[in-house]
Formats: sequence, structure tokens, C-alpha cells
Amino acid sequence: MKLDTELPRGINGATLRRLLRYSLAWPRLLWQGAGLLLLATLGQVLGPVLVKVFIDDYIAIGQYPSRDLMLLGVAYAALYALSAWAGYQNAMRFNQIAFSVIRTIRAQVFGAVMRKPLSYFDHRPVGSLVSRITNDTEAIKELFVQVMSSFVQNLTLIIAIFAVMAWLDLRLMLLCGLILPTMVVVMYHYQRLSAPRYHHARSVLSRINATLNESIQGMRLIQVFNQQERYNGSFRALSQELFRARMRNLRLDALMLRPLPDLLRTLTLAALLLYFGTQSFNGAVEVGVIYAFVNYLSRITQPIVEMTQRLSLLQQAVVAGERVFEILDDPGEAPVNAQPRAMQGAVRFERVSFSYDGSHRVLENIDFSVPPGGFLAIVGHTGSGKSTLISLLLRFYAPDAGRILLDGLDLAGLEQESLRSGIGVVMQDPFISAGSVRDNITLGLPMTDAEVETAARQARLHDHVMTLPQGYDTVLGERGSRLSTGQRQLLSLARTLARRPRILILDEATANIDSHTEALIQQALQTLRGSTTLICVAHRLSTVMAADTILVLHQGRIMQQGSHHALMSQDGLYRHMHELQRQRSRVEEGYAGLPAGA
Amino acid sequence: MDLFFKLGWYFKSQWRRYAAAVTMLIGVDLLEMSIPWITGRIIDHVVDDTLSPELLWRYVLALCGIGVAVYVMRYLWRVLLFYSSFHLAEIMRRRLYDHFTRMSPSFYREHRTGDLMARATNDISALEMTAGEGVLSGIDGLLTGLLVVAIMASMISWELTLLALLPFPFMAWYFMRIGERLHVGFRDAQERFSDLNDRVQESVSGIRMVRAFGLEQKEDRDFLQVADRAAEANMRVAATDSLYDPAIFITVGSSFLLCIGAGAFLIERDQLTLGQLTSFTMYLGFLIWPMFAYGWLLNILERGSAAWERIDALLRTPSPVADQGVLHGIANSSIQIDVDSFQYSGTDTPVLHDVHLQIPAGSLLGVVGATGAGKSTLISLLLRHEEGAQSHICVGGYPVQQYTLAALHAGIALVPQDPFLFTATIAENIALGRPGASLEEIRAVAALAAIDQDILRFPQGYDTLVGERGITLSGGQKQRIAIARALLLDAPILILDDALSAVDVATERSILGHLQSARAGRTTLVLCHRLSAVEEADKIVVLSHGTVTERGTHAVLLALGGWYARMFEYQQLERVVEAGH
Repeated sequence: MKLDTELPRGINGATLRRLLRYSLAWPRLLWQGAGLLLLATLGQVLGPVLVKVFIDDYIAIGQYPSRDLMLLGVAYAALYALSAWAGYQNAMRFNQIAFSVIRTIRAQVFGAVMRKPLSYFDHRPVGSLVSRITNDTEAIKELFVQVMSSFVQNLTLIIAIFAVMAWLDLRLMLLCGLILPTMVVVMYHYQRLSAPRYHHARSVLSRINATLNESIQGMRLIQVFNQQERYNGSFRALSQELFRARMRNLRLDALMLRPLPDLLRTLTLAALLLYFGTQSFNGAVEVGVIYAFVNYLSRITQPIVEMTQRLSLLQQAVVAGERVFEILDDPGEAPVNAQPRAMQGAVRFERVSFSYDGSHRVLENIDFSVPPGGFLAIVGHTGSGKSTLISLLLRFYAPDAGRILLDGLDLAGLEQESLRSGIGVVMQDPFISAGSVRDNITLGLPMTDAEVETAARQARLHDHVMTLPQGYDTVLGERGSRLSTGQRQLLSLARTLARRPRILILDEATANIDSHTEALIQQALQTLRGSTTLICVAHRLSTVMAADTILVLHQGRIMQQGSHHALMSQDGLYRHMHELQRQRSRVEEGYAGLPAGA
Repeated sequence: MDLFFKLGWYFKSQWRRYAAAVTMLIGVDLLEMSIPWITGRIIDHVVDDTLSPELLWRYVLALCGIGVAVYVMRYLWRVLLFYSSFHLAEIMRRRLYDHFTRMSPSFYREHRTGDLMARATNDISALEMTAGEGVLSGIDGLLTGLLVVAIMASMISWELTLLALLPFPFMAWYFMRIGERLHVGFRDAQERFSDLNDRVQESVSGIRMVRAFGLEQKEDRDFLQVADRAAEANMRVAATDSLYDPAIFITVGSSFLLCIGAGAFLIERDQLTLGQLTSFTMYLGFLIWPMFAYGWLLNILERGSAAWERIDALLRTPSPVADQGVLHGIANSSIQIDVDSFQYSGTDTPVLHDVHLQIPAGSLLGVVGATGAGKSTLISLLLRHEEGAQSHICVGGYPVQQYTLAALHAGIALVPQDPFLFTATIAENIALGRPGASLEEIRAVAALAAIDQDILRFPQGYDTLVGERGITLSGGQKQRIAIARALLLDAPILILDDALSAVDVATERSILGHLQSARAGRTTLVLCHRLSAVEEADKIVVLSHGTVTERGTHAVLLALGGWYARMFEYQQLERVVEAGH
């Protein structure tokens, strides 16, 4: 399903090192893991040595002193038990490190995304950001769970096996050691040959998925244009190409991957036995040694094969790491260092201009002011720049020209916390979480029940909450499904008022709600009037008629400015908009009221 | 096991390959098992001092020969077996796609794209696993197990075999339990992961609110909670997974201990040789795979069965619209629509009722009305995307059901509401219905759709890639390409389904002007919300709540003073306001 599965052919060493460095934050786990690993490996390689002792010193001679044998048996059992335990514990330490690292990385990247300037989200689809935080970190997890532990364990095992072999018989060890460079050469060539082939197969697969996805979405068109045969044909060709590509990979794998180490092992075994047999012509040999070597030989190839099979996981993890670090390294918003201060609520825009892309102006020379406790409304068509103006006031973006002043101070120099506690906003489509009414009002802030209730009363929500089964503790369900759209908006107003803002912004807050709720909101605004600065952006003119001043925006400019009565007395945009809304309701009314089948 | 029968048709068609692969597997197993035997023989000769150089060389060469033979046969069974499984995946993928091309739009309304994609990718992989790894673990697991035990018991010592096998049933039982836990744990981990996805999705979508309320730290905390739950579930899976190695280690270790202890006893009583004991311990290593294979097989079969059910259900879904017509071309472009009542399957409110329209050949009909009035449903009925017992549509005097679907679609060119473009060049997109069209023909229709100049301004002109992975076009540009695409068919009937909504009024006027001259003598249906697109129509009908409420020419409808007249006035005013006056 994922289309961006294409991987580069190399591995970025710097990214890999940076990823691995995360594990250094848990030195105790690392040391414990390393110790346990040594213990486990020791058990694995010493077992055959004990058997060798048993064969050479007892069986071969035919003497069985029971005390020695008991001791040997107990030692063997203890060794295996210890090794199994240490192996499991070691794996668990590595798992713990892995999940701790992933927790850290996830928290970092999530935190970084949450603190990016809003412009960062303008050109990045939500899906791809989500994928960075979840899928990519999941891929990095494999680096620690599968790749790192496998490499460390297998390398240790191989080294330990060869060490014991050398201790038993240096020349035989060297003979067996030939298998290593051979495997390395084979694996090197395998990587060289397989990388482009796998790359090709993956890109065919992602083409198939893309075609499938597109065909399903465009099937109606394909049918209406009678192109089923053609699309079937090209899909068949793609599907067969995938089949051929996978068969090519399979043949390569079958030639070099699994059967080959086994062949090498059998050949080494033959050489070992030949050496051993020849030696026996010249004098006595220790059968136990050969037993041990035969036993070790069967354990060497598996770790090598396992490591090669994890290489692609390693590659994916590093690519994912690159994408995650890209987010982490991209600078977020620089914090403003200033004294926190209480706000009065005076807002002033001085010749503010703004554009998202640097060329197309969305706001042009906006100039107005609102005294503390005043009521300003902003109206205009879609695309007139209303919401952008609010975004600037909330400091989501910085103006290209001009200044925005709060209580006479430049917005850009204000401390973040006092800005947030000073300005409250109610948006068009509020997000309601699945928690209780109270949770949705406090949003994690410590608040007394009385404060919660006061806010709900102010927002005209209290009466409704009282009708709910558990009052303020009623759980609202997925996305607040227990509430109507209008009630959700009142809840959103309550949560904002609970923070006692000096400036209250309603950003299209009445766009989707019924007229009853709109009336409730208007009542609420009336009581706040004079004590809180109100800035209300609306498409619906009925919401704003009571405002002291109404700004009429068109294509980023202020076309008209004044009270409702003043504006209605002019022959301008405001009056036409009013007329249009009246007309609209007439059309809708008449439309619905027409007799069926007339 | 049931699944193997359900896939019987495939195994039958591939029986030669499977038989050859199984033969190879048996060969590999037998040869592999002769290696410990040879090793044991050599050791025995050494211990007894009966080894001669010729004998040694014979054994060593035999070992090398066996090694090479095993290598070749291992290569062969892999290619044979996985050829069959890949091939099954390939066949099923094509069958599904072919099936998709024959399903009508109502099928796509019921199945989400993601769901269909999952069947065509994940479920097919699961089937492939059954035909490959499933067969392997089922047959080879069983085979290896039986062979090893038989050889150990018959050639070395059945007493020792019984003793050495003692721990293995425990391992098999333990593997099964781990397997089950892993299975449950894995499912849980996936659910937690999708919770994590949802949580992040919510936070990122709600970033403005997070900012406005200063909720970053709360978000961090909530996120960590969900992330930790996901990590815990993952950790449980990893912990379970880590149990495999110690289990194998302990089983094999205790089996070794048992058989070496007992082996020494047997050697002492001259019932066993040292070489035999060495080969015996080597055989023990072969027993791990059969124990593992069983649990694996169960897992593969479970996944495969579920996948097969889903794919099979999909393939068995007949197309809701039967293609049983006999007419291979439409006689003339007149249309007659008689819908007494129509509702979508699964609903009971009629979308259309009492709609009766006569559209003479060569005329231009405008259909207007609010969103949801039933305009597009009308087109779905005409194109047989939907069917209802109480709706009768005739084209050229014959009911649409009497045409083959291909003939019906060839007679009607559609510009759909959503101007979907495929990932291909602009030229290829326009030539969707006539892949052989020349560039001149393509440019000619593009000019009619007033998009030719826009296209020439793109860096690669008509070869510019569009669609999901191509450049982004504006809504209006997409609509005009869709119009050019339909015009290239030069079909007797052309339908514009709200196809000009994103085009400005001046361009709309010029396109309509072009259409009038280019489509003289042929029937055109224009469905729209903006009334300016139908002012020139021979007849306009107003649809409201699924039925015709007004009909007549533009002038007549204006004079009528009904919805059309009010809407016209409203849209005039709207244009004034949009211009900022």
C-alpha cells in the first residue's frame, strides 16, 4: 500500500551512527546486556567442550567414575540452563533498550511536529507527517529489535566459536576459518547483485499498487470509455513483470543465499574429516575434538545467513531515520524572551500586508484598531482574507509588512504564555475529545468545579449539561458524538471562556450551526461585551449586526468599515451581501416549499 | 487443511511442479541425513584403527558429491515450489483486476478502495504463503521428522532414539503455545499501533487548536500514553518471541545430555560405537525444524483461509448490472426517460420519482437543481451504472438494457463531476477512449475545450505527466481536460455532469460556443448548478427533490418566476458580490 518504498542502494553511515547513539542513554542496560550476552555465548560454545572431555577422557578409555560423571552432567545441565536464561535475559535487555529508544525518538519527533510553525503544515499532507511519527519510527524500531541484537549476538557467537576452536586445535580452526572469507566474498557479491534486482522488484510492486489504486478509483471512467481490455492488458503485463522480477530474485537467492552456506559447510566438513583421517594414520587423535568441531561447524553458517537476511531491515531503518532526523533538525519557532504581562485587550493593525507564497498578497494594507472591551466584526466572501487576518493575530504567521499591536506593544515581541492566556479563540470546527464534558472544558488545566460551571453558564451550555446522565462527568464519545453540532460549538466557547481571555476571537464559529445556537452565542457575547474585547469573523451577517464596527474585506483589502446601520445606508458591498443572504434564504425556502411534481 | 482442498484446482494444474519439488525435498532430506552417517563411519574406523587412505578418500569424495547434489537439489526445489506460489499470486491478482473491471459503480460504493487494495495485496500474499511456505512446512516438516526418527531408530538404536526424543514433544507443545501467544500479541500490537496512528492523525489535524490553546505539553503527555501502550504491546510480542531460542536451546541440550549419557552406557556394553553416537547427536539437530514447522503451518493456514474467504467472496460477487444486450450500436441519439420511482439499493427513500423526459436527437437539454436533487442519478440510470425495476430509459428507441454495455458506452461520452485524471501524460489522458488518436486530433479537441493554450504553456506540453504523481492542475484545468477527453470520442450523445463548475464564466461561454458548432446534429445533456451554462439550451428542466418541477426554455422559465427565476437573480447578484461591488 505504501508507495514510497523505494530505497537507495547505500546506507547513510552518519544516520546509522546517530540512531545507534540513542542507545547510549541506557548504559546500565547496555552493560547488563553485554554481560548476559557473554554468559549466554559462553554456555553455547562450552557445551560441546564438555562433551569432548567426556568422550576423550572417559568413553574413549572406557572408565566411568560415577562422581566425575555426575559432576560433568550437572555442569553440562547448569551450563545449558544458565546459557538459556542469560540468552533470554539478554534478549529482554535489548528489547528494553529498543523500546526505550523508540519512545525517545517518538516523543522527540511528535514534540517537534507539534511545535513547528504553522506554515510548516501548509504544504505537507497530514498523512505524510503522521507516517513520519508512526511508520518511520516503527521501521527504526526494527533496527534495534531485529538488526542490532542479531548482529551483536551473532558476531559474538562466531568469534567465541572460533576462539574455542583455536583453543582446541589451531590448525583445524584455520581450516574451518576458510569458510568465513568465502562467505564474506559470497555475501558481498550477493549484495552487489541483489540490490539492483530487489530495487527493480520493489519499484514494479509499487507501480502495481499505484495502478491498482488508481484503477479502482477511476474504474467508472475506464468502463464508460470502454477501456477495460486495455487496462486489463497493461495490468497483466505489470503483474507478469513482477512475477518475472521475483523469480529472478528467487533464483539469485536460491543460488547464493540459503543453499550455498550449507554447501560450504559440507565441503568444510569433508576437509575436516580428511585432515582428521590423515592425522589418524600418523598417530592417535582425540575423537572428542572432532566431535566438537563437527558440532561447531553446524553452528557457524546460521548466524551469517541470519545477518545477511537482516540487511534490508537495516537499510529501511536508516532511510526512515533520515526522514525523522530531517524533521528534528528543521528549526522550530524561536521562543520569544520577554516578561509575562497581563493584557488589557486593545488590538491594533497598522498597515499589515501578508502573503503565503511571497508573491500573491492575501492581505493588503490592513489598518484598524479595537479598544479594550470593544466588539469588532469582520465579514467577507470566501477567500477575502478573514481567516488569514485571525491567523496573524494569533501569531500563527508573521506579517510581511506593517505591525500588529496588542495594548500598544508589538505582537512579535510578546511572551508566548501571556499571549495564549490573553487571547481565546473559538473555531469553526471545534475538536471535541472522547473524554468527559469537564475534560473538554479544562483541557488539562487545573480548574475548580465552580470555574468549570461558570464558564459553561457563560457559554449557555450549563442547562444542557444538567440534562446529561452524569452531568459534567458525562463521557462524550468518539469526537463528541453525544452532542449536536451547535452544542459542540457552545462547549468550544465554554472551554475558551474558562481561560478568561481578554480578547475573544470567534473564527467562523457560527458557520455550521442552527439559528437557536446562534442566538445563544449572541446572548453570551452580549454579556461579555465591554469586559472582553470581541473579534468575530462571520460569513453569516446576522451574527455581527450588533458589533461596534464591521470591517468588510474583499480580496485582502478593507472595502468598507462602520456599524451595521452606517453600512446599510451605503450602496456598497455590505448591503449587497445582506441582500444576497436574504435572497438565498428566499431561494431555499421557495425551493423546499414547491409542491412535488408541479 | 480445508484450504488445501479449496486450492485443489491450483495444485492439480501445477501437480508436475509440486511433484518434482517434493521429490527434490525428499532427495535433499535423504542425502543430508547421510552426512552424519558418513561422519560416524569415519570416526568408527579411526577408533577401530581400520581406516585406510582409499576408504577415507572415498568417504570424503562422497561427502563432497553429496554436498554438491544437495546444493543443486535445494536450488531446484526452491525454484519449482516458489514458482508455483508466485504464479498463484500472479493468477489471483489478474483475476481480481479483471473482476474489478467488470463491476459497476454500485460495487465501488459498497467497497472502500483501501479494502479492495488490501485484498489484492495482503490477502494475495497470504494465499501465496499457503501455496509456498505452507506446502513446504506441511510436507517437508512431516517428511524430515519421519525420516530422521526412522533413520535414528533403524540404523543406530531405537532405545536411544526414544530417549532422545523425550524432550521434543514438550518443545512442540511449547512452540504451539508461544505461537498462539505470539499470534494474539501480534494482533493486539497492530491494534495499538493503529490507535497510535489515529492519535497522531488527530493531533496533526488539530494543530491550530493545539497552538491556540497552548496544548503542546498536554498533547505530548497524551501521545506518550498511547505510544507507551503501543510499545508495551510490542514489548510483549518481542518477549514472547524471545522465548523461542531458549526453548530450542534447552530442548536440544537436554536431549544431548540424555543421549550422551545413555550413549556412553550403550558404548560400554558394546551396543553402540562412538561414531554412531556422534552421528546420532548430529541427527538431533534435524529435529528442530519439524517441531517448528507444525506451528508455522497452522499460522499460515489460518491466515490463508481468512484471505481465501475474502478473495473468494469478492470474486463471487456478480456485477449488479447484467450485460446481456444484443444491439451493437445505437441507431440515433434520441433519449426517452421514464422513471416512476428509483431508489438506491439498501435505502427506502426514492432519489427520483415521476421523471418523464423526451430528448429529441440533436437537441441540447439543460438539467438544473440543487445538490442532491437527483441530477447525477439520472445519468447513472442512462449509463446503466444503476438499475431499477420502475425506471425505463430508451436510447434511439430501444431500452438501454438491449444494448451491449460496450455499445451503450460507445454511444455516450461522459464528462463526470469529478474530473479524474490517470497518472499519464496529458495527451494520454485525453486519448483515454481512443488510444490511437493522433496529436492533431488531440489538440483539436483540447482547443474546443479551451485548454490547448494552457497545455502548451506546461514545460513538456502534451507530454506533461499529470495525475497523482504528476503536476498539480487547477480544478478548472482538470475539468477542461475531461471535456476534451469526452469530445475526442465524438459520440452521438455527450453528457456534461456539472463539468464546468470550476471554470470561469467567460471560458464557460467560449466552450459552450465551441460545442454548439462542433456537436451540431448530436444530443448534448448539460447538468449544472450554475444557470449560465444552460441559457442557450433547447429545453431546461428543473429537478427538485427527485422530480421535475419546472421545464421550458430560459426565457419561459424566467417568465414563470419560480425557482429558476429566483436562482437566476441570486446568481446574478452573487457575481456582483464576488466581484467586490
